[in-house]
Amino acid sequence: MLKKTAINKISELAAVLMEKGTLIAPVKEVSGHNFAQILDPQKVDLDFYNTIMSPKSAFFPHKEDFINYKVGKPISEAEPVVLNLKPMFLFGVRPCDVKSFQIMDIHFNAAGIIDPYWRQRREATTIFGYAFDLSKSVDSADFYNTLGIYAADPDGSDIFMVKKDNELLLKGITLQGKKLLSELTTIENGKAADKKYFEEYIKKGRDYKTRFMCLDQETITKKLEDIFHNTDFWTRVSSACLSCGVCTFVCPTCYCFDICDDTQFGRGTRRRVWDACMFTDFTLEASGHNPRTQVYQRLRQKINHKYSYHVRKYGVISCVGCGRCTRYCPVSIDIYSIIEEAIKT
Amino acid sequence: MADFKKIEENLKKEAKRLLEAGEVTVVLAYSKGFDEKHPMPYAAKSVADIKNIVFNEYCNHNMARYLVRYPQGTKIAVAVKAADSRAVIQLIQEEKVKRENLVLLGIPVYGMKNSKTGEVIDSKTTSGLCNPVLYDILLGAEVHGQKIVSPYEVLAEYEAMDKDARWEFWKNQLDKCIRCYACRKACPMCYCDPCFIDQSKPRWADKAPQSPGNMMYHLTRFHHLAGRCIDCGECSRACPVDIPLYLFHKKVAKECEEMFGQAAGMKLEDKPVLVDFRVEDSDKILE
Repeated sequence: MLKKTAINKISELAAVLMEKGTLIAPVKEVSGHNFAQILDPQKVDLDFYNTIMSPKSAFFPHKEDFINYKVGKPISEAEPVVLNLKPMFLFGVRPCDVKSFQIMDIHFNAAGIIDPYWRQRREATTIFGYAFDLSKSVDSADFYNTLGIYAADPDGSDIFMVKKDNELLLKGITLQGKKLLSELTTIENGKAADKKYFEEYIKKGRDYKTRFMCLDQETITKKLEDIFHNTDFWTRVSSACLSCGVCTFVCPTCYCFDICDDTQFGRGTRRRVWDACMFTDFTLEASGHNPRTQVYQRLRQKINHKYSYHVRKYGVISCVGCGRCTRYCPVSIDIYSIIEEAIKT
Repeated sequence: MADFKKIEENLKKEAKRLLEAGEVTVVLAYSKGFDEKHPMPYAAKSVADIKNIVFNEYCNHNMARYLVRYPQGTKIAVAVKAADSRAVIQLIQEEKVKRENLVLLGIPVYGMKNSKTGEVIDSKTTSGLCNPVLYDILLGAEVHGQKIVSPYEVLAEYEAMDKDARWEFWKNQLDKCIRCYACRKACPMCYCDPCFIDQSKPRWADKAPQSPGNMMYHLTRFHHLAGRCIDCGECSRACPVDIPLYLFHKKVAKECEEMFGQAAGMKLEDKPVLVDFRVEDSDKILE
């Protein structure tokens, strides 16, 4: 099933989705685009390259309240926060970011403990993937091709969207997506020419090149294990690192968090907040000991986690090559160059 | 436009000479990044590293930020533009580094650009100076004849707002904050260990990126840099969500200058205004 709508009428589609549930879509902010819950359908803006923050916050918010309580009262009086989710529509996600949800599922929805918050949101959500605009040039930080992802991959989306001049073509990919699309009666059906355009666009996406290196999972994992103790290498590649949290916060596959209690005037909330392995106090132990005091140790941890430990443990690299960490790093540290250099070392 | 190629050549030449002669163990400069627009801070430690040094209009980073990372006594050569040299002076005043351990490679320059936006940053987010305030070796001809712009000129629009409008402005801006702490990490004057915001006993603010904590973090940081901010603009450029932190810092710097007649990091023999007491100091704050 393929449908289409004019891009300047996207707010009408947004309004329909808002009637059906919660719509999360890119909006233009002063500094760039970001995903946000849409309250005014006019705000949906598809004229973007990629968002600053990854869409992971739709399932794994930066701050998630678990329990509200009163200090000194018995635990039975504490009130867990209930999610009460409506159907969610995550609209306009780039293919590399769609891929990141599959990696995050490993941690929140498969291996070991299931995270009820992630799972409930994930199950309530229909993902509208959105192909990169092939007529525009690729950002020099992106390298999703290296991770086997292409600019117009519908894989992982429920509905996949492609821009055709001033129109938006929408195709149902999964059962869930097809069902939803059939319910969207206000937008018109695509014609045979649109179907052809859509299929060709997907194919052409493979020729839209980001930075690329031939990256064999086993080779890079082994290599990073071999050079773990090569302090010279890690000191050199991390010499500019400020050890701030930009790279991890904008990353679609970083999932570390801290659980904290915030109490004020006798009322408290237990919540989780994103944390970053680049922060000095990330590994600070209660005894005062800190196993990772040096900047190089922390950067090494981040890169090894994504390209080595994660492969050993879950069989997949925990990076989708969206380029955000490189693009927003205040000192332009580039994970791609570090991996490239590691292989050569 | 400044002659960036010439500066790069001189930077390499001096770095090579200093490392060869053993006068310094590290040269803090710039190297190429993943593309032309994104050079990176670089620490050259041997003659073999010299070839990696670059200098172009996107080399904004304030290399003084990295000085406190090296053990006291390390002999360091550091490439400094105007604002960066002020950071070095301020760090010397605060006894974080010693003058005799530093070789300052001064870079007189204008027309530096923000790699994210491409806009020229002179005076908007830097101190409006072209020539380093302090240097040992100058890597290019001193810049003269550029229009002199007050570093506080950009404040006009902000100062015209009334109290409510300012509150609204900062509330909106600070609500964007994702608490990545890139601003404090990029700041050459932010060297507290631990930073107040990381302390757990007492805990000064919550960790979540929401209004009260964001306010607490930024307002405290703004004021902790009173009389110390040297106006390099690195905090604002480091910010992934483009909070114009420089505006607040400039406003505080301006008030400090008006009250105490001294701008941060301009003279080696100055004392930081807030640790110095002079009988003639302004009492405006008490009025």
